Amino acid sequence: MKFRIQSLQTRIVVLFMALLLLVQVAGFLAIRGSIDEHARKSVNEQLLVGERVFGRLMEQNAGKLAQGARILAADYGFRAAVASDDRGTIASALSNHGERIGATVSLFYTADRVLKGSSVENGKFGEALAERRRVDGLIDQAARDGWAAGPSLVGRQLYQLVVVPVRAPVLIGWVLMGFAVDRAMADDMRALSRLDLSFLVNAGDGGHRVLASSLGASAAQALMAARGLPRPGIPGEIAIDGEQYGTLVAPLLSSESDQVVTVLQRSISEAVAPFAQLQVTLMLLTLAGLLISVVGSVLTARRITRPMTALAESARRMGAGEYDLPIAVDGDQEIGNLARAFNHMREGIAEREGQIRRLAYWDKLTGLPNRDLFLDRMRDAIASARANGGSCSVLMMDLDRFKHVNDVLGHAFGDALLQEVARRLEGALVRRTDAVARFGGDEFAVLLPDQDAPQARAIVERVRQALEHPMQVQRQTIDMSAGIGLATFPEHADNADLLLARAEIAMYAAKQRRAGALVYDPSFDQKSQDTLSMLSELRHAVEKDELVLYFQPKLSFSDGAMMGVETLVRWVHPQRGFVPPGDFIPFAEHTGFIADITQWVMQKSIEQAAAWRREGMSLSIAVNLSTRDLMDQELPRRFAEMLARHDVKASSFCLEITESAIMDDPQRALATLDRLHAMEFKLSIDDFGTGYSSLAYLKRLPVHELKIDRSFVSGMETDRDDATIVRSTIDLGHNMGMRVVAEGVENEAVWHLLAAAGCDIGQGYFMSKPIPAAQLADWLAKWRPPSLVHGTAPVAEVRHLYAVS
Amino acid sequence: MRVRAALSSALLLAAGSSLGAGLSVSVTDLKGMPLEDAAVYLEPIAGRAPPLRARGIEIEQKSRKFTQLMTVVQVGQAIAFPNNDTVRHHVYSLSQAKLFELKLYSGVPEAPVVFDKAGTVIVGCNIHDKMVAYIRIVDTPWFGKTDVAGRVTIDGFPDGQYRLRTWHHAQPNLDQAAEQAVTARGDSAAVAVRLDMKGAAK
Repeated sequence: MKFRIQSLQTRIVVLFMALLLLVQVAGFLAIRGSIDEHARKSVNEQLLVGERVFGRLMEQNAGKLAQGARILAADYGFRAAVASDDRGTIASALSNHGERIGATVSLFYTADRVLKGSSVENGKFGEALAERRRVDGLIDQAARDGWAAGPSLVGRQLYQLVVVPVRAPVLIGWVLMGFAVDRAMADDMRALSRLDLSFLVNAGDGGHRVLASSLGASAAQALMAARGLPRPGIPGEIAIDGEQYGTLVAPLLSSESDQVVTVLQRSISEAVAPFAQLQVTLMLLTLAGLLISVVGSVLTARRITRPMTALAESARRMGAGEYDLPIAVDGDQEIGNLARAFNHMREGIAEREGQIRRLAYWDKLTGLPNRDLFLDRMRDAIASARANGGSCSVLMMDLDRFKHVNDVLGHAFGDALLQEVARRLEGALVRRTDAVARFGGDEFAVLLPDQDAPQARAIVERVRQALEHPMQVQRQTIDMSAGIGLATFPEHADNADLLLARAEIAMYAAKQRRAGALVYDPSFDQKSQDTLSMLSELRHAVEKDELVLYFQPKLSFSDGAMMGVETLVRWVHPQRGFVPPGDFIPFAEHTGFIADITQWVMQKSIEQAAAWRREGMSLSIAVNLSTRDLMDQELPRRFAEMLARHDVKASSFCLEITESAIMDDPQRALATLDRLHAMEFKLSIDDFGTGYSSLAYLKRLPVHELKIDRSFVSGMETDRDDATIVRSTIDLGHNMGMRVVAEGVENEAVWHLLAAAGCDIGQGYFMSKPIPAAQLADWLAKWRPPSLVHGTAPVAEVRHLYAVS
Repeated sequence: MRVRAALSSALLLAAGSSLGAGLSVSVTDLKGMPLEDAAVYLEPIAGRAPPLRARGIEIEQKSRKFTQLMTVVQVGQAIAFPNNDTVRHHVYSLSQAKLFELKLYSGVPEAPVVFDKAGTVIVGCNIHDKMVAYIRIVDTPWFGKTDVAGRVTIDGFPDGQYRLRTWHHAQPNLDQAAEQAVTARGDSAAVAVRLDMKGAAK
């Protein structure tokens, strides 16, 4: 993260740099190109100007010479000397005047163009003039124009010549003065115009010879060797000694034998030199700009990346779960907004995490810690107990009948009840370190750090007392009891999970035995291990037909005839022998294995029905269905298949369902019942009166039969209330168009009471205990119903009894 | 001295004729244009010309000019150079026929200049280069100067054989004069002279 931010900063800086550099380089190149172009252009202009300057220089020289020559020509003495043909005087006058104006040579020609005098000793100079014709040409021109000037080559020396007439007052001769065009003149020109001036004459081999030059000796040498001079009048470039020169060639003298040109030159690099300083300045400016913008962009980048680093740091802290440090919000618009959003997010996350934490570790309903938090604390307490050599106890508690309360009085009531329980549990605890937790449902746990089993038992007693008082919930009073299990470290377990499991085992043992509270005992574990082995044995029993079907007759009170039988399953264990239904049916219901048992019972019942049909017996067979069976959507289809396989009608079966089985999930139960009813199964409500079934539901159930719970029936002989309940139930059933069956008829008196109350069918040990199918025929043969006469009296007695109440 | 080939091709219209009263000479260039101020004179072929009968001759300077561009005189004639200008002049001659110099002066110089040698004298002013005057000194009393029409009449000479010479200051060679023979027989005659002015310096 940090690296990326740094790289962002770097990227910003690099980007700025690159852009600036690009602009600067482009500018630099453009300026350089422009300078170059400008320099060359200006060199060309300088050359063209230089050509004119040179022309003017030559003219001025010529003018100066002419002036001098004219003075000489006008000198009376000189003219007198000429007139008298005084050669000595003529020569000295020529020298004298030539020197005055710095002429290299002065000559006098007669009007007939005969050389009559010379300033130089060697009088042959005049004859050495490259061509006499040149002189003639100049004299002709002077005769025409009053004077003449022009360059001429004398040997290897270039001269500028001027000719003026000598008059007395008519023409008597010509004065010719020559001015050596040499290095001095070229230097003069260079000083004037900064242009190099060279005079070149064509050499025989097509090359050139330098007559005079302002260039250094080596450059002049190189110029001599240079080929491809630009065409006259047009500026061009040539390289001399590896240096570029703007070059302009101008013809100076063109005669038959000699072509003399002036070459004006300007070093390009010299012309560019002033701009080079400019470029250096520009470069420095560029560097300075670069430096400033490096600093600027670093600062800018920092301004961006510093808050980002802060944000990243904050994000990292948030990742680590620290939410309490707000981010310093910068004033900057975007970054500030981001920081504010970040802060907002931080607060949101903190709040939600708190919420999640509460959800994760706290029970929403009661505000108590949940199982996870409880376990954490338990581990801490055990660790501390282990360190101190102390102990730690855990109490687990499960409310009795809570499910029923919830079903009957509604979830809102159940929730309120749980809150009340939680309050009482907390109230029962004295020490701050003791902690209550809710594990979900109606399960609570209490952690008792530093408490050994005897100390803990005292607390358990307080908890029990706290629950003993009836509870006022939503203006209803309800008695609650609970099964409590207690386990203590280190006696019962040496870690939290095991300790809790053992407390739970103790709790289940307490509930099973209705013992209120129990301290864990290793024998409980044996029991639960027995349960496990029972499950596999039960599965084995179903597979190996160790289960046996017994039948209990259902007899009509009106005539004592057998109306049908209720099937009851018995288990004959190969080792344990006969296992009572109470030992394995609840277990099977608890584990879900009951579905397999129901399946097995139904299968055997159908087979039996088929068998009886073959023997000519037509009996209604009652089969018990559990809650799980009702929840099984596939049940009706499977039953239909089984019936079809043996060609037995559903109408010959009565399916008995307990009230509570229906009330667990009335919607699904009702759906299943409707389908079974549609298949023409008879339906019966078993154990009626023990549950909390609502009459509203009852009304909607497609049932044919009510079976009054045996507890009321067996008690009706002695308990007036039970008798009333039985009678009322019979009336209720009849009024709803149902047949009423009484279970648990154990003596003749009860038989008569029931018969008198108008009960339809009875079932009980008085008539017959459940017996194998094979014994049914024998029993039926022996069965004599009690006399009807004998039976009327008790009814009146009962009525009397009711009247009294 | 190198002498250019004689350019004069003067025609003798009446060769061998005798001149009595006078000789009428018409001077033109080769194109037939009349030449003014040409000196025309007759030199006797046999015998000597009569001596000078001196006269007073002046070449006046006025308005920075010599009043006469051209003057013909007989050898030995003196010419005065009166300066009637407001400025002073320095009249000189560097000609071989007569070298003289009249240093800055005004008015009439003390003595006139005597031209005692035949030839041409070109007179200038050392101060005013433009001033020029030509003097043709001839060894004969019979001479004249053409007018604007290029004509002149010479008279007073006896019959005889003569060389008619014609000189013009603008001709290329000032040392030469065109010549032709004429015979004077006592009557008037006319001669046309054509001078080759080619190459003349103005």
